Amino acid sequence: MTLRLNINQRKGLVGSTLLSLLILAIVGAYYLWGESYQARILYATFVNLLVVVGLQVFMGNAKITSFSHSAFMGIAAYVAAICVTPAAMKAISLPDAPWGLNAFELSPLVSVLLALSITGILGLLTGLFMARLTGVGVTIVSIAILVIVHSIFLHRTDIFKGNQAFFGIPKIFDLPHITILAIAAIFIARLFRESAFGLQLRACADDEIGARAMGVDVYRTRLIAWVIGTLFFATAGIAYAFFLGTISARPFYFNFVFLTVAMLILGGLRSVSGAVIGTLLITIGLEVVRWLETGPDLGIIKMPQMLGLSGLLLGVVIVAVMTFLPNGIMGNREIEEIFKKDPG
Amino acid sequence: MDYVIQQVLNALSFGAEYALIALGLAIVFSIMGLVNFAHGEVIAFGGYSMIVVATLLTGNPWVLMIMVLAACVLIATVLERVAFRTVRGADLTTGLLTAFGVSIILQNLFLLLGSPRPMAATQFIFLDKTLTIGAIRVSSLQIYETVATVVAIIILLTFLRRTTLGIAMRAAALDFEMVRLCGIRANRVIAGAFAMSGLLAGLACIFIMARRGSVSPHMGFDPVLTAFVACVIGGFGSLPGAVLGGFLLGICEVAVQVLLPQSYGGLAQAVVFALVALILIWRPDGILSPAQEKGDKI
Amino acid sequence: MLQIESLKVFHGLIEAVHGIDIKISKGQCVCLLGPNGAGKTSTLSSITGTARATGSVRLDGNDIMALSIEERCKRGIAISPEGRRIFSNLSIQDNMIMGGAIRRDKTRLAQEIEEWISHFPVLGERRNQPAGTLSGGEQQMLAIVRALLSKPRILLLDEPSLGLAPQITARVFEIIRDLKKQEMTILLVEQNVAAAMEVSDYVYVLNNGAISSHGDVGKFGDGSDLMDELMGVHR
Repeated sequence: MTLRLNINQRKGLVGSTLLSLLILAIVGAYYLWGESYQARILYATFVNLLVVVGLQVFMGNAKITSFSHSAFMGIAAYVAAICVTPAAMKAISLPDAPWGLNAFELSPLVSVLLALSITGILGLLTGLFMARLTGVGVTIVSIAILVIVHSIFLHRTDIFKGNQAFFGIPKIFDLPHITILAIAAIFIARLFRESAFGLQLRACADDEIGARAMGVDVYRTRLIAWVIGTLFFATAGIAYAFFLGTISARPFYFNFVFLTVAMLILGGLRSVSGAVIGTLLITIGLEVVRWLETGPDLGIIKMPQMLGLSGLLLGVVIVAVMTFLPNGIMGNREIEEIFKKDPG
Repeated sequence: MDYVIQQVLNALSFGAEYALIALGLAIVFSIMGLVNFAHGEVIAFGGYSMIVVATLLTGNPWVLMIMVLAACVLIATVLERVAFRTVRGADLTTGLLTAFGVSIILQNLFLLLGSPRPMAATQFIFLDKTLTIGAIRVSSLQIYETVATVVAIIILLTFLRRTTLGIAMRAAALDFEMVRLCGIRANRVIAGAFAMSGLLAGLACIFIMARRGSVSPHMGFDPVLTAFVACVIGGFGSLPGAVLGGFLLGICEVAVQVLLPQSYGGLAQAVVFALVALILIWRPDGILSPAQEKGDKI
Repeated sequence: MLQIESLKVFHGLIEAVHGIDIKISKGQCVCLLGPNGAGKTSTLSSITGTARATGSVRLDGNDIMALSIEERCKRGIAISPEGRRIFSNLSIQDNMIMGGAIRRDKTRLAQEIEEWISHFPVLGERRNQPAGTLSGGEQQMLAIVRALLSKPRILLLDEPSLGLAPQITARVFEIIRDLKKQEMTILLVEQNVAAAMEVSDYVYVLNNGAISSHGDVGKFGDGSDLMDELMGVHR
C-alpha cells in the first residue's frame, strides 16, 4: 500500500486530527478533574465509539442498515477472553469446557491476533453473502446472524457461560489504550471514507445502477467495507473484555445494537464526525437520564425511581432524529466542513 | 399417531400465529414500504389494555377479547398518525429505524407504567384445554388458533377483493400516486392498512395471552422478529407470501424441535434463522416475489 | 373552464416550466405539442397536483393550486397518465372500479362499466384477469376508460399514442373524436402532430418550458411547418 493520499484524504487527516483533539481533551479533562468512577464511563464510551465508527464504515457509506455488530463484538470478546485467561482461573470459571479450552493460555498479543483473525474470517464469510444482498435482505440476514450467535452463546454454557458471568479475564487494557484505539479508529474510518473504495460505496448507495455502469464493482466494495467493519467490532469486543474482566452474553444483543445505531443516526450516518459526535451526545444524555432513573434527591422534590427512562430517551432520540433530522446532526458534512451548508 | 397429529397441530398453530403477525407487517409494507417493527408493541399494548380493562371494568373474557382487538386497532392507527406519517415516502432505512425507535419507546413505557416483570392476566387461558377426540388428545387452543387464522385470512381476502378500499389498498401497493389520482385519499388507504394490521395483531394478542397467561414489555418482540423473517421468506410485501412464510416457519420450528435431540432445544431459533439466511441467499427477494428490475421505470 | 396563469413547475430545484398561460373552454379539445423535455408532462402534473408548482390553475374560476391530488380528482380532473400506469396487479374490472372510486352512484357505475366493456369486447373477455396481461393498446384504452369512469369535467391525456401501432393509434384518436362529440373538455399532450391536430380546436406549442406559439388549429395549416419546428428541421 502506498502512502500517497488523495486530496480528500488529506482533508480527512485534518478532520480526524480535530476529532482526536476532542477525544484527547475529554481524556485530559478526566485526568485533571475527573473522579475515578468516571474512568469506567469514559472507557465504555470509547468502546461504543469504536463500534459506532465501525458501523459508519459499512452502514454509513453503503447506507444499508445492519444489526449484527454486537454479535461480532461478542465473538471477539469471547475468543480473546478464553485465550488470555490463565488456565488456573479457567479451571474454576469454565470447569466443563470441551477441547481443552480451559487448559491453555496465550499471551495478550497472540490472543488479540487470534480473536481478530477469527472474527475477521467470520466477517469475510458472512460478507460474501451480505455483499450480494440488498436493502432489507442485509438487515434480515444481519438480524439472523445476531440471533444465531446469541443462541449459541446461551446454549453452550460450558464454553460461554450464557447469561452468567465469564470471569477472571486479566485486566490488560486501561484508559490510555482505548484512547489510542479510538483515535486510530477515527483516522482509519475517515481515510476509508475518502478513499476510492469509500467513494465508490457512497456512489452505490446513491445510485447502484449508475455506479455499476461506471464500472464500480459493487460486491467487492461492500465486502471490503463489511470486513473492515467487523474488525472494528472485534477490536471493540476485545477492548471490552480486557477492561471489564468479566463478560456475559447479555450485552451482546439487541439493546446494545439499538444504542449504537441510535448514536450513529443522531450524529449522521454518512460522516465519521457524525458518528463521533452522536456517540458523545448520547453518552452524556444517558448518563444524565441514568442518574434520574435511580430516583435522585433534588433537594425540593424526591424523584421516584424510574426504570426504562433511558430506553425511552433512546427511542425518542431515534424517532425525533428520523422525523426532524433524517440526515443526523452532521448530514454529509465532516467536522472541518462544519460551517459549510450541508450539500444534502 | 397421537404424536404425529399433535406435532402437525403444533406446526399449524405456530404457523398460524406467525402468519397473522406477518400479514400485519406485509399489509403495511406493501402499501407504504415501512417495515413496522413496532408491531410487536401493538400486540403488547393489547395485552396491557386488557389488564387495565379487566381490573377496572369487567373480567368477562368475550368483552375483553373485543377490547383487545379495539385497543390494537386504536394504537396501530395512532402510531401511524403520530410517528409514521412524517416518514411516509422516506427511504427504507429511515422507516425501519423510526419503527425501531417507536418500538423501544413503547417497550420502555410499558416498563415505566407497568412493570419490568410479567404481569398475570389469565382471563383467556380457559381457551387452552386438552380435548380428547377418540383416542387422540389435542390442545383446543391450537385448533382455535388455526381455525381463527384461516377465517381471518378469508375475511381479509374478501375485503381486499370486494370493497373499493380493499381494491385501492392492493392498487396502492403498486402505484400509490395513481391511486390518489383516482381520487382516493392517501390517508384513508394508509390508515386502513394500519387498522387492519392492528386487528390482526389483536387476534394474535388474544392467542398469545391465552398461551402465556401474562404480559411483559418484550412479549411482542420475538414473535414479530420471527414474523418478519416469515415475510422475508415469502417475499416482502406479498400477502400470500406472508401467510406461506408464516406456516413454513411454523413447520420448520416444529420440525427442528422434533428432529434435534432434546439437549439442543436451545438452538431451535438459531437453526430456523440459519435456514432463513440460506433461503435469502438462494432467493434474495423471497420465495413468492418475482425478480424485480432495478433502475427507473420508463 | 380551465385557466392556467404564469405557471412554473419544479422538479426538485430545477424549474421545468417557466411561467406559461393556457386557457381551455368547455367542450374544447386543446392540444399541447412540443419536443421531449419541453415540459408537457410537467404541465399536466401541475394540474393534477403531482408536481410542485407556482402560479395559478383555476377550474371554473376557483383556484385549485392549494388542493390535494385527491381533491382535484373529486373536482373533476381526470388523467390518463404518461406510461398509462394501469394497476397491472389488479383485474381489468378492478381497474375500472378504481376509476369510479369517487362515484356515489355505484349502480350507475356498474352499468357504465358494462357499457364500456361492450364497447371494447377485449376488456370484457378478460375482465377478471390481471390488467398487466393486456397489450399496450388495450392498456391505453383501459387507462382512458379508467379516467372517464370518474365522470370528469376535464380529461387530461398524456401521449395516448406513445408506443402504439398505427392501427391502434387510429383507434385511440377515434375515441377522442367520440368524446369530443359528447362535449368532453380535453387537454391532449401529443408528439403525433398530424393526428393530434386533426382532433384539436386549439394548439399550444411548448419549447424549453415556454410557449413558443399558440392559436386556432387552422393557423398552423396542415401542421407540417410545426412538425419541422418540433423535429428541429430548419428550412
